[in-house]
Amino acid sequence: MRRAPFLPLVGSAILAAFSVAALPFSRGLFRAPRTPYDASEADFTAPAWILLARAEPLIPRNASVVVRTEPPDATIDTYLHRFGVALLPGRRIVPAALWGIARSPDLLRDAEFEVVVGRTPTPAPGRLVLATPEGTVWRRER
Amino acid sequence: MRPGYLWLASFLVFPIVGAPLLKAWAFRVFGFPTRAVLSGGVGMVLVSWTMTLFALLGIRWGPLIVLVAAAVAAALRLLPRDRVPRLPKVVPSPPGRGDGGEGAARGTTLIAYSLTALSLLAAFAATVSARSTSTDLLLFWGPKAQQFAAARTVDVGFLRAPYLEYLHVYYPPLVTDVFAFAAMVAGRFPWGAATLTFPLFLAATSVALAGILKTEAGAAPAAATGALATSAMALVGIHVSVAGNAEPFLLFFEILGLAVLLTPIARSTTGKLLAGLLFAGAAASKVEALPFVGTTIALFLAVDREARRSAIRTVLLLAGPAMVSLGTWFAFGAAKKLFFGYQGYGRTLAIRWESLPAIAADVGRSLWKVGFALPWLVPIAVLLLTPARGRRVWLPLGIAIVLAGFLLFTYATTEANVRLLISWSAARVLSPLTALLAFASFCAREHR
Repeated sequence: MRRAPFLPLVGSAILAAFSVAALPFSRGLFRAPRTPYDASEADFTAPAWILLARAEPLIPRNASVVVRTEPPDATIDTYLHRFGVALLPGRRIVPAALWGIARSPDLLRDAEFEVVVGRTPTPAPGRLVLATPEGTVWRRER
Repeated sequence: MRPGYLWLASFLVFPIVGAPLLKAWAFRVFGFPTRAVLSGGVGMVLVSWTMTLFALLGIRWGPLIVLVAAAVAAALRLLPRDRVPRLPKVVPSPPGRGDGGEGAARGTTLIAYSLTALSLLAAFAATVSARSTSTDLLLFWGPKAQQFAAARTVDVGFLRAPYLEYLHVYYPPLVTDVFAFAAMVAGRFPWGAATLTFPLFLAATSVALAGILKTEAGAAPAAATGALATSAMALVGIHVSVAGNAEPFLLFFEILGLAVLLTPIARSTTGKLLAGLLFAGAAASKVEALPFVGTTIALFLAVDREARRSAIRTVLLLAGPAMVSLGTWFAFGAAKKLFFGYQGYGRTLAIRWESLPAIAADVGRSLWKVGFALPWLVPIAVLLLTPARGRRVWLPLGIAIVLAGFLLFTYATTEANVRLLISWSAARVLSPLTALLAFASFCAREHR
């Protein structure tokens, strides 16, 4: 070997230092996060995650559910539909918006449950099943 | 046992499945940790392929998957006939030629392992603190895996359901298969545990990388190159949030497959078959593995005279497993009328030449956001400061150049919002270049 592998080690040391510097020390590195997205760039998903995780045992399998935000936002509602598919497996998730375009409220009325991230909706869409700081879960009265 | 732990523990099945092949005589050049990791890689490829085959044949997933996959691994061991002489386990560093002897080499190795451990620890800390979780886990990898686990097959009804187009039904199956396999064992899909695949696969990659490369150059240069590659991949992974997505799988298969081709074991049939199986894992993990695998095979033939002499055999061994793996997946898609090949974002060859400078600038900005582009710039600096020797350096370097060109070509033919696409994907898709550049400086060194 003509040269000691000095250069890769120096390079590795620089990169490792930047990796350590990228850690979220200010948020409390050793505090258990509430969701897998708490300190990520997608931290906006955390409230929906917490609400859906708490709603999951309360919503029977095969039930139809709409997941939306209050006040309504078509972009966020598009994502909430997808989060609902992920976190409420076995339920039929009815989208409140698709690809950033809101759907007609008439299309949502058939859903048996409504998970609302954010403010409490008025008028109430049904019977309150769960209320958390992140939002509410409602069962429609038929 | 909690489902998360059980989900992760189920990954131990993969080294057991792949063990029959890795017990082959030719692989005794590797130490036990390297063979265990490589067995795991082979096991994952075979389990995933068996799951896809079962889905195609309409057989529900169950314990039989493991038995069939292990039987395939055992059968593959019988196929190759090796004619290469026995290779030493580790190439010793020649004494008194700048290394400062055995003591210095040992010191270098120790420092390299420490730096590798620090980078792995950072990746682990970023994952458990929820700093680096990928949204793709929540959007499609996780939902598909948990649904397939519940259905005990690739659930065609779910993939066809209205409003679920964003699930990318045609994406290759390995990651969802592996996630679903573990979810079947655990009884549910644990989202937090799935994010730990980032530090887990990064650790597995770095362990096997050092073990493979030391058969070419000795422990110290192998450990140093492994440390550089691992640190670069860790920094990119932390910044672009790969925890829970397919990137750690892709890098694991691509980097280890290429590492095998850089060492003497590539001269053997078993070595080429191992590389081929790892490339099959890459191809079954993500779409962008295809240009990587194609370029790697072409350049390997260009730089390796011996491989050229039996070119057809070499191509069959290196590309055959990927063709079988993807062929089964495409047969499934066609049989169920779900998809017919991969979808593109634009029209091939309709290149918007005028937008190339803007695209290059956007890609540059995207890389800059990842630790000031250091994961790419540092390996480039190391390469430039290492005197280049031999044609073999063109294997990793050529792949890096082609991959970068392919990405620019893809963006230049994209009809969608290219800026947005670049901000999502450029740094992630270019992450293999970090390790490729580290490999290039490894190849540029005079080893013997």
